[in-house]
Amino acid sequence: MLDVALVLASSGCWFAGALLSASSRPPERLATGLGLLGSLLALGASIHLLLGGSASGLTFRVWGLPARLELDALSAAFLLPLHLVGGLGLIYGQRYWPVQTPWGSGRFLRFFYGLLVAAMTLLFIARHGLVFLVAWELMAVSAFFLVGTEHERPEVRRASWVYLACTHTGTLLLTAMVILMAQRMGGLTWIALPVSTSPLFEGGILVLALAGFGFKAGVLPLHFWLPSAHASAPSHVSAILSAVMLKTGIYGLLRVSSLLPGIPRGVGGALLALGALTAVYGVGNALAQRDYKRLLAYSSIENLGIILMGVGLGWTGRATHDPWLMALGFGGALFHIWNHSLFKSLLFYGAGAVLHATGTRDMEALGGLARRMPRTALVIFPAVLAVTALPPFNAFLSEWFLYRGLFSSLARGYPWSAALGLVALALAGGLAAVAFARFFGTLFLGSPRSEVAEHAHDPAFSMLLPMAILAGLCLAVGLGSFLLLPLLDRVVAVAAPGAPALLDRGLRTDLHLLAGVELGLLVLVGAGIAWLRRPEGVVADSAQEDLPTWGCGYATTAARAQYTGSSFADAWAPVQPGLRRRMPHLRGLFPGGASFRQAFREPIGEVFLAPRVARLAERLLRFRRLQPGHLSVYLLYVLLTLLAVFLWMLLRTRLLG
Amino acid sequence: MMPDLLIALTMLSNFSLVATSRVSKAIQFAVFQGVLLGLMPLAMGLGRHFHIVLLAIAAVTVKGWLIPFLFRRALKQVHIQREVDPYIGYTVSLMLCALGTGLSLVLAHNLPLKPGTEYTLLVPASLATLFTGFLLLVSRRKALTQVVGYLVLENGIYLFGLLLVEDMPALVEAGILLDLFVGIFVMGIVINHIRVAFDSTDTRHLAELKD
Repeated sequence: MLDVALVLASSGCWFAGALLSASSRPPERLATGLGLLGSLLALGASIHLLLGGSASGLTFRVWGLPARLELDALSAAFLLPLHLVGGLGLIYGQRYWPVQTPWGSGRFLRFFYGLLVAAMTLLFIARHGLVFLVAWELMAVSAFFLVGTEHERPEVRRASWVYLACTHTGTLLLTAMVILMAQRMGGLTWIALPVSTSPLFEGGILVLALAGFGFKAGVLPLHFWLPSAHASAPSHVSAILSAVMLKTGIYGLLRVSSLLPGIPRGVGGALLALGALTAVYGVGNALAQRDYKRLLAYSSIENLGIILMGVGLGWTGRATHDPWLMALGFGGALFHIWNHSLFKSLLFYGAGAVLHATGTRDMEALGGLARRMPRTALVIFPAVLAVTALPPFNAFLSEWFLYRGLFSSLARGYPWSAALGLVALALAGGLAAVAFARFFGTLFLGSPRSEVAEHAHDPAFSMLLPMAILAGLCLAVGLGSFLLLPLLDRVVAVAAPGAPALLDRGLRTDLHLLAGVELGLLVLVGAGIAWLRRPEGVVADSAQEDLPTWGCGYATTAARAQYTGSSFADAWAPVQPGLRRRMPHLRGLFPGGASFRQAFREPIGEVFLAPRVARLAERLLRFRRLQPGHLSVYLLYVLLTLLAVFLWMLLRTRLLG
Repeated sequence: MMPDLLIALTMLSNFSLVATSRVSKAIQFAVFQGVLLGLMPLAMGLGRHFHIVLLAIAAVTVKGWLIPFLFRRALKQVHIQREVDPYIGYTVSLMLCALGTGLSLVLAHNLPLKPGTEYTLLVPASLATLFTGFLLLVSRRKALTQVVGYLVLENGIYLFGLLLVEDMPALVEAGILLDLFVGIFVMGIVINHIRVAFDSTDTRHLAELKD
């Protein structure tokens, strides 16, 4: 009771903060303080619950019908990243997007940011179809306004409209799902269905949930809104969209499937395969991006794919009553959700710092920022290692959970999906390493490729602090993961009703061992660095210091002659489906001037869908004739409809008997 | 006896409304119809219910005094020509109105009525008035005559409401009345604005506002 009240109060705090920010002279400190207070309340309640508190609920009535809010381990598992990233984003946004700006509106941004967090808080504790849908819509619409913050620019407007169309299509499907669920549960309040009575009905709910939540989570054919929306939003908004809002889709899948009595066996395997495809597709496209925020967005698609693989594995476990698979699948998925929200928000904050300092999202215009923004480079480096799933950082462990799950799935004889998953996970990890080598190498190493990068500088302390906290958490989670095992066990028990707590028993020793090895390696690395920096190491002549990085002796032309990000990623062209290039043919011994172009077009959204949608819109223009502008004609339509209804009532009895 | 007479008069005034060629005549008929309907509940012997009497008085006041007053003012302000100026000729309108009335009779015959309803003419009359209102709205060109159509349409709804008058909360009827008043009021303002903008109250000009 107390916990859920705290979370509700937190939602109220965020909402109040949002309202305050919208006033004409926003009391900035008060609004921020309210938001942070809300975050602390929700974090406290969630941690209390995950550490062993019991689930608490609140029952009330909406229009005379019972409704329910409840905080259980699954809700808490999602509230945790929401309020961590939400609160840090609030601090970060202070300087990143000041209230008084010549572009966009700081007040507008703060209002919808607060509303987004409040709505998502409500979403995670709703156990009532209508409350859930209202919170879902509130979240979707505030995200639309946030994506469109810089609505003066046409591409931003376009991105936000595409997002709105997609999210509303998803909501439509979810509304149908909620209605079906209400039919089965005898009311809009969500209760677990104990026994399966109609496989068709439950199959329908599952398919609608997959499609509706898939739009939000960016599952493969439904992901096309995601990259441009994330690239267009202000960076701290991109962080919360990517770290939490995409995961509401996963939350919905887990929540709805936990209410259903059973999952058909094939569905888990199919979801695993879909997740695998999404992961490889996302990372392949991430590799092809010149825009670093778009690269991060595609990497989010990859990570959502990995999370879906975990969910699919867990569903397979549920279908075959295999508790170990359930634990590893759901546990891995949830752990990866936490980890992804940590390192991806850190990466977006870092990208925001770079954007703030240089004003461009083009990687090829940057370079050498490690010298000019040393602190940013330092705090962002752990995230780069984490996203490529390297130890000792956190994402390594969640992917390790999944590897273990996939291997045991393989050993238990569900081979095809597990084999595909293993290959995809390995491929995605490797390609992510390339993509982020490109990201970090092009942005921070080398020497500046343009004027804007020359004068970059580290951001303000209030922007660095959230990044430092997140970087510390990435490392801490990586080293202290064994402490999280009981927490994950509790969440898995909600996602898969009746699953025993296996993670703690099965993985504790392994994680202890891993942590020990990692700690040892860290100490070694530390010692190595200390040895390299020993006092007698800097006796080399000081003239060397001024030479540009990778100058190779050609000090004057080095900046233009360096490897570009695109050339770095060129070797992996076959896995970059959206890349189109125009290469000139060079003939003769002394060819004249030539130019090389390459452009990226989103394979599904821009290449496949956009022309079809345009054609459809053109066809629909014919219906404009129905709108002549005369009031009388409109009234005639009403009259004709009325007459048709009456005639139908007259003839209905005759026709249908 | 009395209610049937009033209903018959209402249906007759429908025909006069579509057949008249003068704006002021059309207004007079619409007002006449409104007053007739305002008296209906009393004729139906519902005088024992206090709130119904109150509503009847309010209806007669609004339809018999307030609305004609607004109309007269609008007529004076915008200097409208006396002609109704229809899209469809008077004869065709009359025939359409007859067709609508016939259809309403057929329809009402086939509609299930609440058992124990004594006024079987009420439903066809209400539907016929609805159709007439629509016909006027669709086929008349001037903004003011369109308002008359709206008024007649509301009369039809009011007539239908009489069927349920004993069960319907007073709030609903009061709502309809208020709706009507506000509708006419707003349309009066709009008419004036149309005249200012286009120098005429012909609604054809409004098509220019289309994007």
